[in-house]
Amino acid sequence: MKYKSWLLPPALRDFHEGRIWLKEHAPFSREDIEKSITRKYMQLIEGIQIEPDLKCNRCHNENPQQFTTFDCSKCQQQCVYCRHCLNIGRVSSCTQLMIWTGPRAIRTRKHSLKWAGQFTVLQQQAANEMLESVKAKRSHLLHAVCGAGKTELLFPTVHFALEQGLRVCIATPRTDVVLELYPRFQTVFPQTIIHALYGGSPKQEGYAQLVLATTHQLYRFERAFDVMFVDEADAFPYTFDETLQSAVQKVKTANAPIMLVTATPSHKLLTQYQNESYSFIPKRYHNRPLPVPRFHSLWNYEKSLKRGKIPRKLKQWTEERLARKESFLLFFPKVELMKIATPLFQLLDGSIMAVHAEDPERKEKVLKLRHEEVPGLLTTTILERGITIRNVQVAVIGAESTIFTSSALIQIAGRVGRNAEFADGDVVFFHHGITTEMDDARTKILYYNKKGFSQ
Amino acid sequence: MNKIETLCLLCSQPLQSAISWKILLTKQFQPTICDRCSARFEYSPTTTALYQYNDAMKDYLHQYKFLQDVALAKVFRQELHARLKREKATIIPIPMHPLKQRERTFSHTGELLKAATIPFVQLLEKTTAETQSSKNREQRIQAAPLFRLMIGAHVEHKEYLLFDDIKTTGTTLQHATEILMNAGAKNVKSFTLING
Repeated sequence: MKYKSWLLPPALRDFHEGRIWLKEHAPFSREDIEKSITRKYMQLIEGIQIEPDLKCNRCHNENPQQFTTFDCSKCQQQCVYCRHCLNIGRVSSCTQLMIWTGPRAIRTRKHSLKWAGQFTVLQQQAANEMLESVKAKRSHLLHAVCGAGKTELLFPTVHFALEQGLRVCIATPRTDVVLELYPRFQTVFPQTIIHALYGGSPKQEGYAQLVLATTHQLYRFERAFDVMFVDEADAFPYTFDETLQSAVQKVKTANAPIMLVTATPSHKLLTQYQNESYSFIPKRYHNRPLPVPRFHSLWNYEKSLKRGKIPRKLKQWTEERLARKESFLLFFPKVELMKIATPLFQLLDGSIMAVHAEDPERKEKVLKLRHEEVPGLLTTTILERGITIRNVQVAVIGAESTIFTSSALIQIAGRVGRNAEFADGDVVFFHHGITTEMDDARTKILYYNKKGFSQ
Repeated sequence: MNKIETLCLLCSQPLQSAISWKILLTKQFQPTICDRCSARFEYSPTTTALYQYNDAMKDYLHQYKFLQDVALAKVFRQELHARLKREKATIIPIPMHPLKQRERTFSHTGELLKAATIPFVQLLEKTTAETQSSKNREQRIQAAPLFRLMIGAHVEHKEYLLFDDIKTTGTTLQHATEILMNAGAKNVKSFTLING
């Protein structure tokens, strides 16, 4: 005897629980989707809310500039669609979104933590504080300098949450960071199903109780996570984009705490959390002070580069690095200027390369620097955070440019001396005039060092 | 569709719309993309197309047709308007199959002309829902008629201009030209946004 009626495919439930998904883009058969709708396993809502204000029901975008009205051939009416989340499939007023309301996926409470590392005293303290916050369902800010070992710090808290049967999400603004975190978490939590979600990520099976995602992928979830971690909470586009902040609110369940992790919290975040739930690590894991940036004037560097000449001080600095065989990163404020400068630097050493955001070989070039196959890279702010290179020296050209905010400069300086063997290094801000942002960055780094080594 | 864009439609950077005498006096359309994005497009040396196919165009077509970003119909409205406003022939955009059009929710050729405020008529109907891009060169050339006249369409003895987004082998335009010529058109020219 064969069972004739319809059975809910577990894969459908595992996929759709916690997600908000375009009906026509569901990765399951039409029949299964229709059946789960008639069984009331799925709630259907309109793609775009028209009244009282235009709002995208997936990404919660409310900016009227980001909507476009057109004559729709599908429904023979005027339709509105959201351009804000267009890249993950267009939501328009004649499309419907599905939210899972059926039975919950089975969550296991068996999760092992395979990590043998040792915390420093400060790390241990912060890890404990964070754990306490999750237990109390209280949002928390972890403020730790670059290279303090933030990722490891999350392990005990994530482990605790998973064992409680909670669903956990770690969101970060950059794909590179997701790609770096994924294998690390897989080795540390071998029993846990982990999904890594980013633009162009492959299809992954099963119900993931731990999700690593770029902040853009958050739009595809709704009331899904019981604990939210937001890594690099201050980074572009997180501070930039208000809709992303509301995205974090919408993907978590009502009482879920938000754990913010950053090296450079904004003033607003600090005042919000400092007196309540705040951990601060002013010291790196290898117990050596942060390299303090030097300021060096480089007047009219732009003019000079455009005339085909590397300014003398900059040339000296680069030649010195080349002579000492030290890897280096040169940060430029604009792609255009970097492109002008690239051939000039290649005259000093032919294998120097440049990398920018849209570079298809971005990953390979960074790897080449890491493996010391190239002496140095010219780059824009895209490499300002998340990357670790053993013995790297850093120079910022045009540190007075508005793109180099104090947090960007702190992050850039934080690339240097991350390895215990090479705990020191050179950070130079070449400038055409000192800005308050530069002063601010330096003052903060000096303050962290003072805090960390006051005893 | 007539709202003024404050952000570049392609890269979302703020648009600096510098008011110039030219814009004020010649009633040009407001720009919708930034200078950096527009510099990536390459003008075509031929007279039957505006642009040459390149990476920027590939991205553009992907966002416009595949991601269904209708707003992008406006990107080339100034150039299309300038090229077609004095056109004496009757303009016919290459139609999509009705099923395909419902799927995409808009006709990409019609929307391009609409955005450029160029009047057009429709006399043709697509007979097949297959796409040209799924076939190779031989299959394209040997294909059965792709179009037929719409029921009740009247082709006059005058000049027509077919408009399409991209020309690769020219099969689509060839088929449409034949139908119109057989129905009594005096002459049929063609013009595309992109030369493939």
